[in-house]
Amino acid sequence: MITLDDIRLKNFKLENLPRLKELRSLSFARKPEICIERARYITRYLRDKDDTNDSPEVRQARKVNYFLEHKRPVFHDRNLLAGTTTSKALGAPLFPEFFALTLWPELDTVSTRAKNPQKLTADEAKELNLEIFPYWMDNNVLELTRKRINDEKNPKAAESLRLFESLVFFIAAKAGCISHAVPTYAPMLEHGLTGLISMAAEREAAALAHASDDGNRHADFYRAVQISLEGIIKYAEHLAEEAAMMASVADDPQVKQEFLDMAKVCRRVPAGPATTFREAVNAIWICQVGIHAENINMAMSPGRLDQLLYPYYKRDVEEGRLDIGQAIELIGCLWLKIADNVTMVPEASEEMFGGAGTVPAITLGGVDADGEDAVNDLTYIMLRVTELLCIRDPNVNARYDYEKNSKEYCRRVSEVILNTKAVPAFFNDRANITALKGQGESLEHARDYAVIGCVELASSGRDYPASSSIMLNLAAPLEMALFQGKRPITGEEQIGPKTPDPATLKSFEEFWEVFKTQLDWLLEKAIALNEEMGRVHQHMMPSPLLSAFFEGPMDKGRDLIQGGSLYNSSGATHIAFADVVDSLNAIEQTVFVDKKYSFSKLLQMVKNDFAGAEGEKIRLYLKNRTPKYGTENPIARKNACNVVGHLFELYQAHTNYRGGRYRPAYWTMTNHAGLGGITGALPHGRKSGELFASGITPVSGAAPELSACLNAVAELGGECVPGCWALNIKYSPEGDVGQMSERFAQTIEAYFRAGGQQVQFNIMTYQMLQDAKKHPEKYPELMVRVSGYSAYFKDLNELMKDELITRTMYDLTNGQAVPYPGDKGGE
Amino acid sequence: MLDLITQQAQKKLWEKFNNSLTSEVAEEFLQTLLTLMQIVFVVNHDYRKNLKNFQGKYQFCSQDGEVTIAAVFHNNRMDVMEKKIDNPNITITFRDGKTLLNFIIAPRQDILGSMLRHDVVTEGNLNYLYKFGFMAKQLQLMMPQLPR
Repeated sequence: MITLDDIRLKNFKLENLPRLKELRSLSFARKPEICIERARYITRYLRDKDDTNDSPEVRQARKVNYFLEHKRPVFHDRNLLAGTTTSKALGAPLFPEFFALTLWPELDTVSTRAKNPQKLTADEAKELNLEIFPYWMDNNVLELTRKRINDEKNPKAAESLRLFESLVFFIAAKAGCISHAVPTYAPMLEHGLTGLISMAAEREAAALAHASDDGNRHADFYRAVQISLEGIIKYAEHLAEEAAMMASVADDPQVKQEFLDMAKVCRRVPAGPATTFREAVNAIWICQVGIHAENINMAMSPGRLDQLLYPYYKRDVEEGRLDIGQAIELIGCLWLKIADNVTMVPEASEEMFGGAGTVPAITLGGVDADGEDAVNDLTYIMLRVTELLCIRDPNVNARYDYEKNSKEYCRRVSEVILNTKAVPAFFNDRANITALKGQGESLEHARDYAVIGCVELASSGRDYPASSSIMLNLAAPLEMALFQGKRPITGEEQIGPKTPDPATLKSFEEFWEVFKTQLDWLLEKAIALNEEMGRVHQHMMPSPLLSAFFEGPMDKGRDLIQGGSLYNSSGATHIAFADVVDSLNAIEQTVFVDKKYSFSKLLQMVKNDFAGAEGEKIRLYLKNRTPKYGTENPIARKNACNVVGHLFELYQAHTNYRGGRYRPAYWTMTNHAGLGGITGALPHGRKSGELFASGITPVSGAAPELSACLNAVAELGGECVPGCWALNIKYSPEGDVGQMSERFAQTIEAYFRAGGQQVQFNIMTYQMLQDAKKHPEKYPELMVRVSGYSAYFKDLNELMKDELITRTMYDLTNGQAVPYPGDKGGE
Repeated sequence: MLDLITQQAQKKLWEKFNNSLTSEVAEEFLQTLLTLMQIVFVVNHDYRKNLKNFQGKYQFCSQDGEVTIAAVFHNNRMDVMEKKIDNPNITITFRDGKTLLNFIIAPRQDILGSMLRHDVVTEGNLNYLYKFGFMAKQLQLMMPQLPR
């Protein structure tokens, strides 16, 4: 029930929230610094104290406990919440289990590099070079996978590894992380960590009573849970001590009181149950910090905080302990804490990942377990905080059930998007709950879904989805289908099976079969490597700490990585979807329906990058006269559905190492720019090096009518895309936000009723983005949606900036695409 | 006198290294880099710490087969040889000297771009390459101001 007089909360502005205003300014002023603290302590632990006779879970727990015990409690500013992800104010923690060693070549230069420098002191660089990195040279996930494959003499897996390392076919993301999860903090808030530890201790004793291998394994897991949670409690105690010390030296009575309050909170939670809203918020934050001691800071998503925190908010408000302004301040502090860390990005990866945050997703609104409207006062408070702060992380997402949630809610979310120009993203409850039910989730569990990272879906605290396991470049199997298993970028090497020369094919259906042959072959390779890496994670990187915040592991006595969760899927996303569909459309229409050009002529043009006058003439024909995904053309609709349907069937036929199914998805982060930049010409008139379209978004300029575009995307939604998608839509801003939000909300509803799962927006013009590229100093805080996440435009690499500039812009007043003015538009 | 000779030899080598940064010839850049590394390991105590307890075998090959050089780190020393070696930790096959330079040491390194374009193909443990890249970069940062 909504009790707020004004759901917009427009009386609450940064001007009368000086703490948030100051903290927000600080967050923009801070420069990222690399934090070596975690790398230092886990390396010392493993080198000097690790007992290899312990189970993987216990070894991991001891390692994490050791780090949390030594982690420095620091207070960088006047945020009301205690705890920091790293020792730096804006820190990039290093996880040497994964790709931290990519920093090695630039230890002496990362602080001063031209693009997105990350500060590292000379002493820290020396410690990394001489003490920390050498330990990990042969011991990170990728190298242990290589060793496992070599030891097993597994040539198929070796081939998969080689394909991955060539970088142009697929990314096996487990080499960099699993993370990507939505824990549930409800049991922690109710019982405190000491309560969870007691439960684990009881179960350990019960498991040991059954003298068996299984009993011992379960007992080991329960012991690991206790050890890791004790680490969080130690960290909270240290925070309390440090806060008390800070209070003792503070001159300002208000500052002194704030530190005393934080010390009091940290002495109570997360060890004990939360009794107030403030305690609940800080307990969640300290546990998030704990999770990042174990798992890399990538898309660890706090989930449905408006639902989780609402009982604490309601009770405090009813009992007069909390008012709306204080709640806004605390939520604002939480948002800014969540944004206190970034990923370490080596210069070599800037082209692919530059500007990305850590994408911790917050999910608001939607329906509850009974399918009823779950929007509450806290939903609107969190929307207001999102609107006021307008920062990259957390990645805020709004669920919407067009039958159950109010129109006011939909309009309010629309208004926040218009005011921030980018956030939150909209998610369709009806379609997404259907998608999760299709994966065997109970209706009640599916209704409690939250967004992970960019767009992926998971039942909160019940689904360990490894949602970023595979990123498959769909342009690779298309090129392999065109060139008999070879790709222009890899030269004469026979990569995939030698399929027939397309020039010899008699029908489009025959070419579709050839494409599927190459696609299926590549997908099998990607899955095989994911399975190998999953098994390496089982030995090297179990997650007993994270397991304590999930339903399933405590009942099964099994870590998440061993299939302890209720649901255990693996996610695979796809790059170049729209470009591949449009290429299939062009081939079908031009070669087989109209017989305008022969397949051999088309191949010749593609090989030559449409060179010369004839090439340009043919390219323009293919670009402008062939069916396009994002329109009502039946060939385009059929091919889009066929690609989505085929991928769904392929993935669902595979069971992963944890016993769950593979779920396809369509989001691309910045990979569509990086991979597009190195891919040759394609049959839909795309020249070599042009960027791919993002996520599931149609190719820029290909979908002139908004409603047709939304319908074409929407009809792909539901069961076949359980991992969800990122649809990027750009609107030209209008003067009257009120009127525009009305039209905006109506468009959302129509799209969702047609089946669309997700949509995100940039409310900006071609010219504005061109100007922002040319004059970054004029737009220091300009936030944009990339493909599932938000970024500051100034931080993105040049390719991504161009991709955002050229994305189709629609005028919402007439539903038509606004023609791209060309490169001169910003002048 | 011996110091003077050593200094002169080093100066020549630094000049050669500086020149090779703009050279198209792979062998010259790579050989100079490796020779300079060997010398600086001997004369510079801080730089020598990179060798401590380090075991690593590198194989460098040009795509045209003209260059085959191995660098082996063992027993706190570095050996360079013009031959194929067994079981290297990493093999780096490069299109030409410019691409190798760009890959290892250029002021604006393009490791990922080089790999994506297949200008450089690696086989094996990239962590060894990262360490090598660091040592090469350190040399570059140590390079004395040379007269034009």
